[in-house]
Amino acid sequence: MSTELLRLEGIDTFYGPVQVHFGLSLSVRAGQIVSLLGGNASGKSTTMKVILGLLRPRAGRVSFDGRDITGLPTHQVIRQGIGSVPEARRLFGAMTVRENLLMGAFARSDRLVIARDLERMLELFPRVRQRLENRAGTLSGGEQQMVAMARALMGRPRLICMDEPTMGLSPLFVDRVLELIQAVNREGVTVFMVEQNASLALQIAHYAYVLQTGRIILQGEAGEMARNPKIRDAYLGGPDAKATAA
Amino acid sequence: MGSWLDYTINGLIIGNIYALVAVGLALIFGVSHLINFAHGSVYAVGAYVGWACFTYLHLPLPLTALAVIIVCGGLGIAIERIGLRPLAGAPRIAPLLATIGISLVLDQLLQIAFTPDPRALPSPLPNWRISLGGGTIGALDLLIAATGLVSAGVLYFFLRFTKLGWAVRATAQDRDAARQMGVDTDAVNRAVFAIASALGGLSGLLVGMYFNHIDPAMSFQATLKGVVAQVIGGMGNVPGAIAGSLLLGLTESYGVALFGSSYRNLFSFVLLLLILVLRPNGLFASARVTPPEPMTGTFVAPSRVLRIPPWAVGLALAAAVVLPLLPNIAYMLQVMTNAWLMAMLAISLTLVAGTLGQVSLGHAALLLLGAYASALLALDSGWPIWASVPAAGVLTSVIGTALAAPAFRLRSHYVSIATLGIGEIVSLVILNWESLTRGPMGVTNIPPLAIGKLELDSPQAAYWASLAVLVVLALLQSRLLRSHLGRTFRAIRDDDVAARAYGVSLDRYKGIGFAFAGFGAGVSGAIAAHLYSYINNETFTSTVSITALTMVILGGMGNLLGAIVGAVALTALPEMFRGTAEYRMLIYGVVLLLIRFRPQGVLGTV
Repeated sequence: MSTELLRLEGIDTFYGPVQVHFGLSLSVRAGQIVSLLGGNASGKSTTMKVILGLLRPRAGRVSFDGRDITGLPTHQVIRQGIGSVPEARRLFGAMTVRENLLMGAFARSDRLVIARDLERMLELFPRVRQRLENRAGTLSGGEQQMVAMARALMGRPRLICMDEPTMGLSPLFVDRVLELIQAVNREGVTVFMVEQNASLALQIAHYAYVLQTGRIILQGEAGEMARNPKIRDAYLGGPDAKATAA
Repeated sequence: MGSWLDYTINGLIIGNIYALVAVGLALIFGVSHLINFAHGSVYAVGAYVGWACFTYLHLPLPLTALAVIIVCGGLGIAIERIGLRPLAGAPRIAPLLATIGISLVLDQLLQIAFTPDPRALPSPLPNWRISLGGGTIGALDLLIAATGLVSAGVLYFFLRFTKLGWAVRATAQDRDAARQMGVDTDAVNRAVFAIASALGGLSGLLVGMYFNHIDPAMSFQATLKGVVAQVIGGMGNVPGAIAGSLLLGLTESYGVALFGSSYRNLFSFVLLLLILVLRPNGLFASARVTPPEPMTGTFVAPSRVLRIPPWAVGLALAAAVVLPLLPNIAYMLQVMTNAWLMAMLAISLTLVAGTLGQVSLGHAALLLLGAYASALLALDSGWPIWASVPAAGVLTSVIGTALAAPAFRLRSHYVSIATLGIGEIVSLVILNWESLTRGPMGVTNIPPLAIGKLELDSPQAAYWASLAVLVVLALLQSRLLRSHLGRTFRAIRDDDVAARAYGVSLDRYKGIGFAFAGFGAGVSGAIAAHLYSYINNETFTSTVSITALTMVILGGMGNLLGAIVGAVALTALPEMFRGTAEYRMLIYGVVLLLIRFRPQGVLGTV
């Protein structure tokens, strides 16, 4: 049994008077791909914000590698070894792709290693190399997703958090992004991804949680979940989920 | 031709000075999407620190400049800490008001410390000039040019090649994403405010030396010019701000060459309006893109309204009506008459800023229009006062709406900037249109209020007349707010895109709103003209606009009764504590800062 890298315990969050999470608890084991599934307004993206310190929970505890990071400002959370691929990618559109990648290494100060890592990213994402000096805002959605992933990896995170990595991508790119997530994971980076498209996420995840209106209603090994027809129909958008994704 | 070269050099020098201000505003706007209205105050502080260093400490220029940089940089950090940081997540109008509040406080503190009188700030540089073509250049010109160039170079290097500079650029583009890269965005804000304020202070010092003249009023002008330059270059665009400043400096200088120095500001504000109408994103962006909207979400804080029972309103009104019957109350009546006039302005502004969501910073111009219209109709055309006052209201309504029309297609921040500029234009046109307005002399011997033969020149009569007009205007406005117009106005405020999608013509309804507001404010100005018997183009300045906005915010944006309460509170309260008159603006500033704790105002936004 591998060790636990990220753990959320009894999280309650609010937007003003509206409660989003009701005692949310989940954990991510080191080396795995863990997926958080759920429909619109289930609180998925808010979970991401809580982990990254963009939103402070009213109750509960977030710990990373055994250390309490609840309420830490975002830049310090990142420095603990967490990388983020935000929803809708959020590249710095007026900066070049190279500058975006280097921004990913902002929290590091080992210049020489950063240069080597940049080269490694370009091997992992060959498409990015051709666009290196272009402004990030001019890239297609799929290319931007790759830059966003590479940017997060430039921080040498132990855990990478991805918010809807396949959203808005063409089917071709969706498969490519999923492959890349697996490749990243094989290199030893733990992945926590939030996904609306459950059947896609379950293809590559090891473990999954289903979130509904702020509560975890289901969890288990991804393979079992994908095979269970009852679960699929009730929570994962039915057998035609893949068609809607395409 | 020689003089033209002189004007060109002069324009570039002034442009360089503006650039030091505008670059700071652009940096701050970049990372925080905020127009820092306190920036001009920092600039004035810079000038005074320089003056103190020269006069008391006899420091040489380099040490003086260093002192200015340190003091102003520190002040910038303080402004960020007090004005901005605690307001993260507050309604978007809150930080804007906070910077206005800080600016009022700083300006007033300068006045208290150094008196409002202008002072000389002699340049310690050698007084030689070299001829160049037909023009001449002096040592100070070269120093200013060098400061501009060096600052631009250092700034470029900083943004391009330092880690903090990268963080600034990333934060400017996407604050949350920058945080997720490990950028401490609070530190970025602090650094940006420090750099911007240091440059602003340096600019103040150089301007003081250039004109050999400093006074506390220079603060507001500097903010205005910096904002204009920034709009020309595109909000938040640092190189654009430099180009915009140089263009502004040249435009002004050539304007002065052609028409004389009283036209300097007129040229800059006309340029501002042209840019806002033709290229609202600045000269260097594509004109087709709609202006970016940094202030997403509702501009006005939603809140529960504090209901005042009708009997309480009736009781308060009755008390107001019988007030003049009390003995020994002449001074109090004057104060309260002023309060009623300010209340007319405030309910007019609360309609435009609160209900319609167009935060106007040029509302005092409507008072000016009304005052001049009624005074001139009475004096030059021989109209009776009972006719000239309402006619002034109608004229103000028509002219004011026509002038504000270019701002109808703009949103939030841009509306405020445009109305501020329009307000300044009105005042400057009045100053320069001598054949109609008597120019800088002002209008004297304006007859007192009268209905037919009945002169209302006692304090009691003036009081009752103002109160009656206010009550009528307030009743009309409350009727308007309950009609479909009120609903439509609020719909435009809350989501103009959605309102348009439901077939609401923004231009028409904004026009109706401004027309109604213009009438009330015009009548208020007209009555004031007849009470004061003398007016000039500075009778109602932008300070009055900001005062009115403070009243509206204190009462609760869009809240009719709140505006009246705010006007009475802020007009009468400073008078009750005698001797606090000179602290008046300080009080307004503090009110604007305290609004953080109750952003919906006393009675709540509607």
